[in-house]
Amino acid sequence: MRNRRRHAQPQAQWRLRIRATSSTLLWVVALLIVGSMYLAVNAKLAQAGRQVINLERRKDELLRANASLAAQLAELTTPEQMWARAVALGFHPAGPAEVEYLKVEGYVPPTPFVAPRPPAASPRGPGALSPAYTETLGEWLARWMVATEVSP
Amino acid sequence: MITPGREVSGRIRLIAGVMVLAAGALIVQLVRVQFGPFAPIFAARAELQTGYLKRVVPARGLIYDREGRLLATNASQYYLEVEVRQLSDTSREAIASVVSKLLVLPFEDLFSQLERDWAAQGQLRIRLTREDVSGGRLPIAVDETVADVLKDFLNDPQAPDLSGLDLVPAPRRVYPNGSLAGHVLGFVNQEGRGFFGVEGYYDEWLSGKPITVARSSLPPEARLEPNPPAGVNLVLTLDLEIQQTAEIALREAVENTGAEGGQIIIMDPRNGEILAMAAWPALDPNRYEPWLPEEDGGKAEEERVITPAVAGQFEPGSTFKVLTMAAALDADKVKPDDIYVDTGLIEVGGHPIRNWNGGAWGPQTMVGCLEYSLNVCLAYIASEELGASLFYSYLQDFGIGQLTGIDLSGEVSGQLRTPRHPDWTEPDLGTNAFGQGVSVTPIQLMAAVGAVANDGVIVQPHVVREVVGPEGVYWPRPTVLGRPIRPETARTLTDMLVQSLEGEARFAGVTGYRLAGKTGTSQIPTEMGYDPDWTIASFIGWGPASDPRFVILVRLDKPETSPWGSVVAAPVFQEVVERLVVLLEIPPDAVREELAAGGSGQ
Repeated sequence: MRNRRRHAQPQAQWRLRIRATSSTLLWVVALLIVGSMYLAVNAKLAQAGRQVINLERRKDELLRANASLAAQLAELTTPEQMWARAVALGFHPAGPAEVEYLKVEGYVPPTPFVAPRPPAASPRGPGALSPAYTETLGEWLARWMVATEVSP
Repeated sequence: MITPGREVSGRIRLIAGVMVLAAGALIVQLVRVQFGPFAPIFAARAELQTGYLKRVVPARGLIYDREGRLLATNASQYYLEVEVRQLSDTSREAIASVVSKLLVLPFEDLFSQLERDWAAQGQLRIRLTREDVSGGRLPIAVDETVADVLKDFLNDPQAPDLSGLDLVPAPRRVYPNGSLAGHVLGFVNQEGRGFFGVEGYYDEWLSGKPITVARSSLPPEARLEPNPPAGVNLVLTLDLEIQQTAEIALREAVENTGAEGGQIIIMDPRNGEILAMAAWPALDPNRYEPWLPEEDGGKAEEERVITPAVAGQFEPGSTFKVLTMAAALDADKVKPDDIYVDTGLIEVGGHPIRNWNGGAWGPQTMVGCLEYSLNVCLAYIASEELGASLFYSYLQDFGIGQLTGIDLSGEVSGQLRTPRHPDWTEPDLGTNAFGQGVSVTPIQLMAAVGAVANDGVIVQPHVVREVVGPEGVYWPRPTVLGRPIRPETARTLTDMLVQSLEGEARFAGVTGYRLAGKTGTSQIPTEMGYDPDWTIASFIGWGPASDPRFVILVRLDKPETSPWGSVVAAPVFQEVVERLVVLLEIPPDAVREELAAGGSGQ
C-alpha cells in the first residue's frame, strides 16, 4: 500500500532529505540526552566521592586534634602537676593522724571507672551511603521493580 | 561483466563484513574480559590503574589507671614524604635546607636522598630518613609543632619552594605522666609495636587489626572509609596517686642511701591487684630508644631490665624466712612458743652456717628467731624439723621457681634447686632456709608472702582490671594459684611477724596500725662468690594485720649508707604505709573496731 502510494505520489528529494536528516537528528538528540544524563550522574558521583574523601580527611584531622587535646589535658592533670599546684596553694599531704573517719549511714561508694568503648568495626563497602551512589542502572531497575511489587 | 555499481556494492559489503567481524571480535573479547576465567585478573589490573591500596590502621587502645586517669594515649607525628616527580632543582635544595635547619640534621644527607634518581628505580614517592645512633636508618618523624611550621611554608607563596614535600600523619604513642609507671607500661616504637610491660603483653589486643582497602582515584568513589577492628582500651589496677607515692618514696630512698636502684611494689593480697609498681632508675616511655632490644638498636640484654618486678631476680635473704617458718608451722613441726637454743653455729651437709652477726643468741622462741633474723635457727628448722622433701614441697606450693603468670611482658621464673636438680647439694637446704642460694623475682616473693596475708591463699598478681572492647567490658577475675598453708597458719604467722616487726624493725611501724613484716639483707652472688661489699636491702610487710589490705615490698640495691634492710628499707615501708592508709581510706585499728562495733568513728 505504501509502495503503491509512493509510486503514485513520488516525493520530492528535499522532502526525503529532510525526513532522513530529522530522523538522524532525532537519534543524535536522544544520544546526546542519554550521554548528558550519564555525564551528569557521573559528575555528581565524582563530586560526592570527592566530598566524602574531604570529609574523611577532615574527620581524621579532627580525631587527631581531639587525641592531641586529650593528651594535653592529661599532661596538665598529672599527679606531679596537681601535687605542685596543691603545694603552691598551701596544702600538704594528710597524715594518718590528720584524718577523721565518720560512719555515714546510706553512703554508696562510687562505682568503678569504666573506660569508653572503642569504635566498632564497620563492614567494607558502601556503608551508610545511599545506594544511589553505588548501584548500577540494572541494580536500580531491579530494586525499583521489587519495590513496586511489594507496595500495594 | 562487472558494472561500476556492482563493484561499489561489493566493496561496501566487504568493508561491512570486516566491520561486523571486528565488532564480533570486540564483543567476544568484552564477554571474555567481563565474565571469562581471567575476569578477576583483568579487574585487578583495572583497579591498579585507576585506584590505589590504602592501609587503614585503627587507633591503638588507650590505657587508664583504676580512677580513669590516662596513662597512655595517642597523638600524631608526621613523616616527611616526597613526590619525586614534583621535585625541581630549587625545591630539592630548599627542602634539604629547611628540614636540616628545623631538625638539626646534616644537609648533605637529606640532599643526597633528594638527588637520587628514584623514578628510574620505579619509586615515585620516598620517605626521608635519618641516621640512627646504631648506624641504621630511621624515617624522619616530626611532631605537630614542626609539622605546622612546614605546613605554613607549603601554603605561603613567599616561603621557600618546598614543592614535592608532603606531610603524612601517623599515630604516636604518648605517655602524659612521663616516667610515672613507665616500667609497668612498657613502650611502643615508631612502627606501632609494643615492647615490655602492658604494651608488650597486650600488644595484639591494643593494636587492633589494620586492614587494606582498595580505593578508586579516577573518578573518586563515593564510599565511606571502613572502620577496622579497633584496639581495646585497658583499665589498670594501678592507682596513679599510690604509684606516685611509691615513686617519690623510692626516689628519696635511693638519694638518701646512695643505692644503685630499687623497687617498691604494692599489692592487694585479697585479689592480686597491683596498686603500684615503682622502679629506679626510672623509664620514660616517651624516650624509649635506649631501652629497645639489642636487635632494634637498644642496649644489650643483660644491661636492661625493663620491668624489674618481674624480671629482676635476686636472692631474697631473710624475707624468705617467712616462707620457711610458714612451712614449719603448717606442718606442725614448730609452734610460736617453741624454744630453740641458738649456739651461733649449725652444720648442714658439712657446711657451717652462722648468724648475720656471727653471735650466739641462746634460747629463743620462734618469734625471737624471726625478730632477730637468726639464720642458724631457720637452717635448723629446714634441715632438722622439716627435711628436704617437705621443705621444697612447700616452696613449690608457694610458687618459688615458677612464673606467677602476671600480665606483664618479660617475666622470668627465678631459680629453685630441689634435691632432684643435679646441682643440688645438702648445704643448699640450710642456706635456702634463710633465702640464700635461691633466686626469686620481686613479684614471686610478693605472691608467696601475699598468701600469708590472705589466709593462706595465693592469688595471681595482675595489673589489668578491665578490658573494654567494641563488644563490651570484660573484668578478669582473680585467679587462685594455690593454698600452700592453712588459714590458721597464716594468722599465727601474721601475729608472730607483728611482734617481730615491733621488735626488729621499729622504724617500719605506723602509730595506730598493727603491721606485720620482715626485713631482708641479702648478699649478691657473683662469678667469684658473694660480693663482699654490697647487699640488697629489703622489707616485705602487710597490714592492717587483722584484715590485710596491702602487701608492700621494698628493695634497695647496693645501699651505701647501711647494708641492712632494717635500717634502709624498713623506714621506706613506714613512709609508704603512712600515706597509703590515707589514700586507701583505712582507719586506724581502734577506729575500725569501733566502727565495726557500731560506733560513729572519730
